[in-house]
Amino acid sequence: MGKMKGAQIVGQVTARKDGVAKVTGQLPYASDINIPGMMYGVVLRSPYAHAEIVSIDTSEAEAMGAVCLTYEDINPILYNERSVSVPDATFRDRTVLPKKARHFGEPIAAVAAETEEEAYKAMKALKVEYKVLPAVFTAEEAMKPGAPQLYDKVYLGDKEVKIENNVAVIRNIEEGDVEEGFRQADLIVEETYKTQRTYHSQLETKGAVCKPEPDGGITIWATAQSIHANRQLIAQIYNIPLSKVNVKRTAIGGGFGGSIQVNTVTPICAGLALKARRPVKLISAREEDFYSHAKYPNIFHVKLGVTKDGIITAAHVKALVEIGAHHIQALAYLGCVSGWFASLYKYQSNIKFEGKAVYTNKVPACALQGYGNPDVNFAIESTIDIIAEKLNMDPIELRLKNYRGTGDEFWGQGPTIRSIIKSCGVEESLVKGRELFNWKERTKPSEKTGHIRRGIGVARGFHTSGTGGPKEGEVIDYSSDYIKINEDGSVDVVCPVVDHGGGTWDAITKIVADVLQVPLDMVEISPSDTRTTGYDVCTHATRGVFCGGGAAYFVAHKVKERLLEFAARIMLENPIDLDVMRDDELGQGVVYVKNFPEKRITIGKVAKTAQINSWGTIAYADSYRQKNCPPCFVAHFVEVEVNTKTGEISFPKVLIYGDCGTPVNPDLVEGQLIGAFNRGMGFAIYEDTLYEENEIGNLKCHGYMVDYKTPTSYEMPLAENIIVRLADTYEPTGPFGAKGMGEAAFSSVAAAISNAIYNAIGIRFTELPLTPEKVLKAIKEKGI
Amino acid sequence: MTKHEIEITVNGRKRRLTVKPNDLLLNVIREDLVLTGTKYGCGIGECAACTVLMEGKPVLACMILAVAAHGKNITTIEGLADGDKLVPVQQAFIDHGAIQCGFCTPGMVLTSHALLNENPDPSEEEIRDYLRGNYCRCTGYTAIVKAVQSCAKKNQ
Repeated sequence: MGKMKGAQIVGQVTARKDGVAKVTGQLPYASDINIPGMMYGVVLRSPYAHAEIVSIDTSEAEAMGAVCLTYEDINPILYNERSVSVPDATFRDRTVLPKKARHFGEPIAAVAAETEEEAYKAMKALKVEYKVLPAVFTAEEAMKPGAPQLYDKVYLGDKEVKIENNVAVIRNIEEGDVEEGFRQADLIVEETYKTQRTYHSQLETKGAVCKPEPDGGITIWATAQSIHANRQLIAQIYNIPLSKVNVKRTAIGGGFGGSIQVNTVTPICAGLALKARRPVKLISAREEDFYSHAKYPNIFHVKLGVTKDGIITAAHVKALVEIGAHHIQALAYLGCVSGWFASLYKYQSNIKFEGKAVYTNKVPACALQGYGNPDVNFAIESTIDIIAEKLNMDPIELRLKNYRGTGDEFWGQGPTIRSIIKSCGVEESLVKGRELFNWKERTKPSEKTGHIRRGIGVARGFHTSGTGGPKEGEVIDYSSDYIKINEDGSVDVVCPVVDHGGGTWDAITKIVADVLQVPLDMVEISPSDTRTTGYDVCTHATRGVFCGGGAAYFVAHKVKERLLEFAARIMLENPIDLDVMRDDELGQGVVYVKNFPEKRITIGKVAKTAQINSWGTIAYADSYRQKNCPPCFVAHFVEVEVNTKTGEISFPKVLIYGDCGTPVNPDLVEGQLIGAFNRGMGFAIYEDTLYEENEIGNLKCHGYMVDYKTPTSYEMPLAENIIVRLADTYEPTGPFGAKGMGEAAFSSVAAAISNAIYNAIGIRFTELPLTPEKVLKAIKEKGI
Repeated sequence: MTKHEIEITVNGRKRRLTVKPNDLLLNVIREDLVLTGTKYGCGIGECAACTVLMEGKPVLACMILAVAAHGKNITTIEGLADGDKLVPVQQAFIDHGAIQCGFCTPGMVLTSHALLNENPDPSEEEIRDYLRGNYCRCTGYTAIVKAVQSCAKKNQ
């Protein structure tokens, strides 16, 4: 998509458009919406991990003036909160409110009242009779004969699926000749890795404001990564035409994958509002939010075969994934995990993946930045280091020999969505990275002494940019825009794309400003909603800039065609002889004659003339689908200090080498990389949602942030010791050479940290997180 | 429940309010005064998204009863800038890419502003320590620390 000509805005550091609104507290999030006559909703949550709901007595709550919502009020339609996969590849197992609680904290009923306090009191007055059932909390236990069963049957598309031994889905993929690959190997390494259930801990808790409309419709403001997903689900559940369901796009206080699916509380809030016939605000308390979703925890068994020259000849990964109480698309998850694993190295194309996802009575698991990529990356990148040591080979050399790069196939969203890699910064990031990080001065674990031991580690990762491939696959991917030129030459971009704060909207305005050659302050993203925009699947899969920006790039070019047609009429020229250029002195874009640039007219003048002469508005609306899913790459070089007396780990220095093609917002790309490093530290050494070892299956942290340790400003490496570099690449299929960055930034942090810890103390950890207790125990066992 | 008349000065304006003894300052600010820049993140003093300045000091509005704010001067994020003129640290947050989702930004900006008032020349360690109670899941804090550093006297 188009090389740049002249000085462009894409790639420049510019002040983010929502900056002033954000530093002055004026940007509304869903919870900031207030509507006259609004009631407040509160959810009653299950006090048991597994229990049938025999009855709910709402009479006392209703006598207090509350509106109550129970299973009886709800359309019993089964659905999946996540709708980015095509319907035939989507499992459906849940209703708005259940007849049976399947995890502690699952919403059972809800009430709305005049104030939040009254609503809480009414919620406490609900009388629920439960029949408590035995519960199961690990995948291994859940698969045993006689284990408590969460479901008898669920649906895959319209097909009934019987559930046995709590196995939600199995997905096996095999390519090449794995047995032959292992026969060719001189060395086979096998290891088992475990990754934990982390919590997104986005700062804005999930919530919604729903307003019933006089025409039977509903207007919704919700924490959402996709407004259209919310619209479609609410319309389906409450049997309202889509044209009467309007989901407003608002700012979102952090996504991290937790709102790809429609949040559980949103249909509940809509149900309350429709029943009450009044607007209702329902915002989760933090303690409730902890019980809404978590990251998929995994057990990976990895087997890699390699020749003595360091060529990996075959790979076999078994994944056991514990998905909790509901299926938020473990089929897609397993497919994606197979792709993240398969696309990391060539393995001589001999690949076997066996994935199994199992229900338990825990909080439903869903995507969290990377959708399993950081997890399987930890497994593979740790194994690569094990192999390098066994072969006495430099770990960077081993990676350079085996990575998938330009010309190789990349699985952007599981086995059904693949494209060929056309831009790749892997070599640059590893080769230049090792120089910048003084890699050659790295010493062996056996050479370290003292109680503070320093180690250096590396790992590399990637993520997809979107979920488009040349062939349509299991996952829906396109975006839509309506772009128009106003009569003063300014531009409105009407789009459904949600910006989590990573700078997607700024990227879109820059792309449009460069296509139409207008100054950046003449392009704005319009407030939008589902009634005024075409479909966009979701801001997920690192697709905001590549797919959302790609659609804006496409539609802006169509607008440019119209602009040149109208300008040609005014200038008495042929449109093909015209082009646009930015005139910063005029503060306008101008249309000019290519071989006679002195002949020119401002874009505003063209638009105004078109309006006065009743030719029409210079505008275009369309959808656009990217047909590639280019990987954005990253390499992490990490220096750690391990305190062998306490097991604590600190980070003196880190180098993050990213490859996002053209960085549309360079400062915000850096922000993505550093932010993801912080969360990666949390994933690697702090975070886990541990459960009490009891039958009710509540969280040990009780939903308190202070008992769910995340890295703060204090644990980060000093600012000057975080080095960020971007590879010099250009993605030919992306808008102005851009691809994504967001999730790639998180992909290899944990592996790099673990590899650095190994280098410091010679202990290979295979289970995250590497808490001080765990590290100290291992240090004592090793006798350091 | 007995209601109490309180008077607080919010962003330079005297406000008379009738509150219940258990009303939190956070809810009064967000709901009665509709100053929604003050955010709810946890409600129990864990995240500092609800930070406001009371007599110039950063406090957590979710941990203070509204009645305890009687007679006090409160600055919320809406009242920090002088009209369109941002205070230096607000501008620095924009210039240093210190904003992502923006949900922590009001609390971060107010806390940073208070730090710079207390200590016009903070070191990086002092900034990191002062901000450690303010939770941010997006930025990794580094850009925020740099934004505050840029406002230190020595860097002006």
